[in-house]
Amino acid sequence: MTFDSNAFLIIFTGALIAISCGFLGVFLLLRKMSMTGDAISHAVLPGIVIGFFVSGSQRSLEVILGAGLLGILSTLMIDALRKKAKVQLDASIGITFTLLFAIGIILINLFAYKVDLDQECVLYGEIAYLPIDLWITSSGLNLGPRITWLAGVNFFLILGFTYFLFKELSITSFDEQFSSAIGIPSKGINLALMSMVSYTTVSSFESVGAILVVALLVVPPSTAYLWTKSLIPLLRLTATLGILIAILGYYLAYWIDSSIAGMMVAVAGAFFFGSALIKGNWPLGLRGTSKSSPAFDS
Amino acid sequence: MEDFLYFFTFQDPSITWVVLGIMLLGIGSAYVGTFSFLDKKALLGDAISHAVLPGICLGFVLAGEKDPRYIVTGAFLSGALATFLSSWLKQHTKLSEDSITASILSVFFGIGIVALTAIQKSGNPEVAGLNSFIFGNAIGIAEADLFLYGGLSMAILLVLSLFLKEFRLMVFDPGFGKAIGFPMKGIRFVFNVLLILAVVIGIQAIGVVLMAALLITPGAAARFWTDRLQPLLLLAAFFSILSGILGTYVSFVLPQMPTGPWVVVFLSLIALLSFIFSPKSGIIRRFLARRNYLRKTHKDHLMKALFKAKEAHKERLTLEEIHALYPFHKKEITHSLQELTTQGLVLQDSQGIRLSTQGNSDAMRIVRLHRLWELYLNESMNIAPDHVHESAEQMEHLLTPELEAQLEQRLNYPTLDPHQETIPRDTP
Amino acid sequence: MITQVTNPILEVHDLTVSYDQQPVLWNVDLSLPAGQLIGTLGPNGAGKSTLIKSIMGLIPPTSGYIKIFNKALQEVRTRISYVPQRESVDWNFPASVLDVVVMGTYGKLGLFRRPGKKEVQIAQEALEQVGMTAFVTRQISELSGGQQQRVFIARALAQQADLYLMDEPFAGVDMATETAIFQLLQDMARTGKTVLVVHHDIHSAMNFFEWVIMLNLHLVASGPKDQVMTEELLRKTYGGKLNLLTQVTDLIRKQDFNPLKS
Repeated sequence: MTFDSNAFLIIFTGALIAISCGFLGVFLLLRKMSMTGDAISHAVLPGIVIGFFVSGSQRSLEVILGAGLLGILSTLMIDALRKKAKVQLDASIGITFTLLFAIGIILINLFAYKVDLDQECVLYGEIAYLPIDLWITSSGLNLGPRITWLAGVNFFLILGFTYFLFKELSITSFDEQFSSAIGIPSKGINLALMSMVSYTTVSSFESVGAILVVALLVVPPSTAYLWTKSLIPLLRLTATLGILIAILGYYLAYWIDSSIAGMMVAVAGAFFFGSALIKGNWPLGLRGTSKSSPAFDS
Repeated sequence: MEDFLYFFTFQDPSITWVVLGIMLLGIGSAYVGTFSFLDKKALLGDAISHAVLPGICLGFVLAGEKDPRYIVTGAFLSGALATFLSSWLKQHTKLSEDSITASILSVFFGIGIVALTAIQKSGNPEVAGLNSFIFGNAIGIAEADLFLYGGLSMAILLVLSLFLKEFRLMVFDPGFGKAIGFPMKGIRFVFNVLLILAVVIGIQAIGVVLMAALLITPGAAARFWTDRLQPLLLLAAFFSILSGILGTYVSFVLPQMPTGPWVVVFLSLIALLSFIFSPKSGIIRRFLARRNYLRKTHKDHLMKALFKAKEAHKERLTLEEIHALYPFHKKEITHSLQELTTQGLVLQDSQGIRLSTQGNSDAMRIVRLHRLWELYLNESMNIAPDHVHESAEQMEHLLTPELEAQLEQRLNYPTLDPHQETIPRDTP
Repeated sequence: MITQVTNPILEVHDLTVSYDQQPVLWNVDLSLPAGQLIGTLGPNGAGKSTLIKSIMGLIPPTSGYIKIFNKALQEVRTRISYVPQRESVDWNFPASVLDVVVMGTYGKLGLFRRPGKKEVQIAQEALEQVGMTAFVTRQISELSGGQQQRVFIARALAQQADLYLMDEPFAGVDMATETAIFQLLQDMARTGKTVLVVHHDIHSAMNFFEWVIMLNLHLVASGPKDQVMTEELLRKTYGGKLNLLTQVTDLIRKQDFNPLKS
């Protein structure tokens, strides 16, 4: 197969997005907040619309800021519902994201004259158009696909976030009481994580759409969790899966002539269910011998 | 105004159909969803609404057109598979519930999108209707469909009503149900079937993403008003119907507005209002209760002050003296004195303010409670005399006559409190 | 029988704590001496865990205050070590024994800094003190209950604090481990550390603690073990519900807000 620079760009961008989402998703998984991550990716819609309205463009800083603010808002709303109204967690998440998403749809309709946001694009993006959506500076210099740059910036931001706050993220995910007791700002770390999720959603929705973002947030980490027992290998395996998903997703979509984002989800799903079958707890008769058992001395 | 009348007198048959459709959809989802909510599995409905998409596409492909029977069957199979996989994963892996739900949701939905884009590319003219599954299109509910979906909704309601006690067991005490011989697994299965059906019907009107609101929000809102199952279900259904009608009305008046999101907005509004105003857990009630409590404590303190003055052989207190005792509270003092006078507990004359006979008895009671409580804290709980006052300041307004009697008995009808002050009682 | 201490390491002043609008601790006044192994006893629901959590700032007081080293909690956090109850954590978390114990050093590291050789060494020394050196690389999901408890204690040791607060560190632990850990705690007290332990067993309490606090919704006693663990005081602590107080607590719970909140 000849080297197809378009294919490379698409796969490369897809991989960047997959790794970024994967890293955040690992911590969501460990904090048992996977559904909150899913909710936030829906809840950012009003922020995107307002940002678009204010700036006149779907590719602006205002959109990203709007999304980030809405990510924080939805986290606060879920928390308020739980603590003040004493609503259970799952219902708080459901009520919050549906309300915010509904407001987003209403705003799209309200601002239709100025906000040309295709609902379908928000949901599933189209990464195939990436190579032709180029970033050309005012001096005419072609810097390559705009979305790849966005994904790259996002990637480095998340890498930095994970690296510099690694111990804070891991300790607050493992033992929140202990973290608070020793003075680690658990609430702040949580809000920061949720902001990163909103930011990632919005900077990726153009290329891969909100659906794939959610899938990439949740499925590769869950898959990797079945295989590893330590945090850093978990992150590494999630990243590896992300790259594989990007590569396989692209070529399968090319082969079947389907949406790349959709195929990436399908590949992620295949890895996930396959791993569950292999690593799952089969009843004693069918079990392999590789599972270690707890020591009996105390 | 004209629009309003036109809409609500149902002169336009298509409006009537839409409203009827939304109502039926809403009732079914509210009923089923409330059970999910009580079961603490509220987001399962969200997962199922995403997971039915591949099945819907399959049904469409097999039928070649948007035939509801194929669609519903396909959706059903897809939803059932998702539910089965969820419980399998929960039992056989160490994954937590939320990650299983989120994974199943996104994978199934993603596959559904793949199928959908493939179908859209095939150029089948029937395809346009499929999009309504994702975004919902209440207005587009065809008359013919309405009969099928209406029928299914009625079926859901019927089954739920018939098996109310079984479902109640499933949610609140499955262990007990199993122990007394109910087929809990079968009941859970039937419930899941109903849930999937409700979802399939609902997402056509409101779309995949917002479906969760139709399931969760009515029950959550109703929960602020009642604890009992049947009123809860009825109220949830009522909220759902109300929001459905209001949402449809809005998109009638503003034609570019889609119905679904407005229904969700109204549902959330109802939930918010329920939270604020409901007597059970409402903010308003707490606010009023606190305000009344503060007023009562203020009056009690005034009476105490008058009583203590009497103990020091001062029959009356002038207004200035009272103001001196409680600086910065002039307004409250005036208000409290007014109320106390109206209640006949306090008498005002040219020389000052004094307690009436009844007022004296009441004030004595408060002082007695205060000192009894101080003694209780001090004697029974070893709390230092200088730390008992604040607690007594609060408890003197709360202790009931029964508790007072128990205190007296416990402390053996004492005469003095920890500060060597007499515990006053009415002379028999 | 409440003994107060001059220059206490921990001072609890008129502390009332409510949990879910139910007062669980009423007007607790106590002071504790430094360098001793202190046990907190009482029946279930007596407020022992609540007391520890209040000291750690995890539950805000309804009224009253707490001073540690004669200062507010915020100023001295790095000098206090906390061992929460074992069930408060999901032991399926992907971490090794060493990973968890190193977490004890995070408080002193501050934001952004990564644990280095020094921190790992502190963790390894702590593991040696609890006898878990052989388990350094073991995944925490593979540990038994007693081993998990020892890991939590090692994490607390790695904090290198002066005051140690432990919430039921002996729950579900066998006799041999219990004795070994008690000896470790006694050694720590001998080197001048103060260790406050919430405990459930009167018998071992009599053997190992120097100072004992007894709670039953209020402070029944606090002082040297021999003076406090008398039959009369034990009866007051364990001898059944305080009927009157329970009714009052119920009364408060039914109000629309907590009237005891200052």
